Amino acid sequence: MLIKVCSAANSGLETIGVDVEVNLANRGLPAFEIVGLPSKAVDESRERVKTAIVNSNIEFPTKRITINLAPADLPKEGSFYDLPIAIGVLASIMNCELPEKSLFFGELSLDGTLRHTKGALLLSLFAKEKGIKSIFVPKASANEAAIIKGVRVYPVESINQLLAYLLGQIPLEPAKYREVKSEVVQAEFDMAEILGQEQAKRAMEISAAGGHNFFMVGSPGSGKTMLARALPGILPILAERESLEVTKIYSASGRIPPEGSLIKIRPFRAPHHTISQVGLIGGGSRPQPGEISLAHRGVLFLDEFNEFPRGVLESLRQPMEDGHLTISRSRERVKYPSRFILVASANPCPCGYLYHPKKSCTCTQREVEKYKKRVSGPLLDRIDLYIEVPVVDIKELSKNQQLRNSSSLEIRARVEKAREMQKNRFKEKEIYTNAEMKNAHIKKYCFLSKEVKQLLLQAGMAFQLSARSYFKMIKVARTIADLEDSDGIRVSHMAEALQYRPRDQIRDK
Amino acid sequence: MKLSFNQGKVWVVNGIIKISDEKYPRLLREIDSPPEILYYKGDWDNSIFENCLAVVGSRRMTTYGKLITNKLVSEIARAGVTIVSGFMFGIDATAHKATIDAGGRTIAVMPCGIDMVHPAHQEDLYKEILEHRGLIISEFESTHPPGLWTYPKRNKIVAGISKAAMVVEAGHKSGSLITAELAKKYKRRLFAVPGPLTSVLSKGTIQLIKEGAEIVTSTEDILVEYDINIEVVRESSMQGLNELEQSIIKKLQEEPMEIDALTRLIKISTSEIATALSLTQIKGLVFEEGGKYYVD
Repeated sequence: MLIKVCSAANSGLETIGVDVEVNLANRGLPAFEIVGLPSKAVDESRERVKTAIVNSNIEFPTKRITINLAPADLPKEGSFYDLPIAIGVLASIMNCELPEKSLFFGELSLDGTLRHTKGALLLSLFAKEKGIKSIFVPKASANEAAIIKGVRVYPVESINQLLAYLLGQIPLEPAKYREVKSEVVQAEFDMAEILGQEQAKRAMEISAAGGHNFFMVGSPGSGKTMLARALPGILPILAERESLEVTKIYSASGRIPPEGSLIKIRPFRAPHHTISQVGLIGGGSRPQPGEISLAHRGVLFLDEFNEFPRGVLESLRQPMEDGHLTISRSRERVKYPSRFILVASANPCPCGYLYHPKKSCTCTQREVEKYKKRVSGPLLDRIDLYIEVPVVDIKELSKNQQLRNSSSLEIRARVEKAREMQKNRFKEKEIYTNAEMKNAHIKKYCFLSKEVKQLLLQAGMAFQLSARSYFKMIKVARTIADLEDSDGIRVSHMAEALQYRPRDQIRDK
Repeated sequence: MKLSFNQGKVWVVNGIIKISDEKYPRLLREIDSPPEILYYKGDWDNSIFENCLAVVGSRRMTTYGKLITNKLVSEIARAGVTIVSGFMFGIDATAHKATIDAGGRTIAVMPCGIDMVHPAHQEDLYKEILEHRGLIISEFESTHPPGLWTYPKRNKIVAGISKAAMVVEAGHKSGSLITAELAKKYKRRLFAVPGPLTSVLSKGTIQLIKEGAEIVTSTEDILVEYDINIEVVRESSMQGLNELEQSIIKKLQEEPMEIDALTRLIKISTSEIATALSLTQIKGLVFEEGGKYYVD
């Protein structure tokens, strides 16, 4: 007797349907085989399913059981086939009907209960796309799946429960639909808590408003990490579409906790500089998203930028350019999005105390030069804002009473207004922020008056700006103008932008 | 060779000054066999001839040459000195451009007829000189082509109009050395900018210094010749500053400090301080190193 249970498999962020065909034959020696290129974890399903069924006080059939995971030539990975296999076997021996247009998915514990399984949201999206009305997933995974309207998500606690429901013995309520709604979320670190650092905070506001990547140079203890961590809090709240994108990635890589649902805050990722290329951009034999995708719609913070191997940094270039990463393997091609704001930080010299007011630098001139040279190349090209982060002296701070500190909420409000201007500006094109502008966009959208051009020219001489820096300055000036609700770029906007100009390899001047 | 443009603006009409005219540049009259006729484009205002510095150098300019020309010429021009040169690509063109960018006036003396732009690819610079109260001068009429002997004649005018001449970079056979010789002959002050000994283009300038030209180490060396006090120039640049900029400079004169410290001291937003700092840096009044701002 053949029963077909529908399931699905995720490849990156794509999902394809998998049919779990369960056949119980009376002839032949008792056996339990899975075919269809199962991986080891899938093959071990047999043990889990068998034990789970027995532990659920159900007699395991002594028949020749063959499970075919179709399509047969697609390698099957994962542990989520446990549920469809188990229910297929049970439906077969109990002679019960499986509901039409349903998907089954979930890993079994040996005691028959379902465990939180990654990828439930993708399943839900797949179901919606294919017109499948119901999905049966582990209870702990139901919340993330329930954000898709129009799909009934049944939270399954154990195979006993599911069986009882399918036999009509007990009801099973679908999980409540959770509307995907943006909401204001409190920042992890509030800008108001950061003492001093007025320029750095201003640079961060500009970064958040225009999506500009930025670079901080400062001694240890100057607060670079704290500043970086405060950035997600002033970025605009995630739009629904963005929230969904981020949640998909986290679902696919198993990073949504049990009972977890939609991700509403912007991610902040800070990989250590010993990370491998695969860890940073993604990959592996079964391609997993890297830090850049886990930072999608959020912030990627590379502390001690000089210490990252050149090759690793080089690999960032293309995904930053494209906004996504495609990983090709012999059997599949997987694409993960990667749009983030890059925040990089570095010490001014190997010992870190080059410009420290109190500690003295112990590096030789040569060492300092060499250190500065390591930060170079096409990646720096993507960075629009540079700031020196000074060490803050608490005593000095209390001496000169500070200007009132803006809170993250206040700054975010300004940032959102600036983003609104950009939205109107780029409404027909494919970009959303000033930082994404290429030369053609700059020509079109950033008219410069004669005075501003004159200033740029003079600045070019005084500061020895490279041609690339010119364009960066224009983009930054455009964002500053947006923050001031100004249609045109004024001299004051350009003058301020020049303070954040790239110092080539953080060299003086 | 290219014919200069016709746009209906006043200065496109050629002007002529004869040696008998009152307006003929006084210093030029004093050289041996001065040109009888000067053709020109632009607004002839004699004040432009009051303080002239000839800035010449190799057409094969190095990065150092460009840098130092920009640095020196911008401050000298800003102080009110007219920069005179030969419009050749290299040091000449750089000097003309630096003057314009600094808001000063420059005179380009052509080695060809007044209606030609030579070198032709610098037409934009030609326009800018005229747009910024400068003058184009030539001894030759209409479309007279440049030739081997027109250059020395042009050099005579460059040296002759000027009170002093500065050679920025020159190989040992450079045409600018001819202008230097003429300056000496006309008893004008001769300055030369030292360059790296490793550079072929320093050979000429270093030889000049050996032979008695004055070595240039800063703009002060030159401005002293024109009785211009650099402090006064810098002070008057201060006049052009607004209240915030002046306040910042005063604070920095007391003590160099970082932008955040300035922000707290003056109690203005960091954005406005940043703007003011950029403007004063561009004017050459404020400098920055390692995050600290200071005045000279």
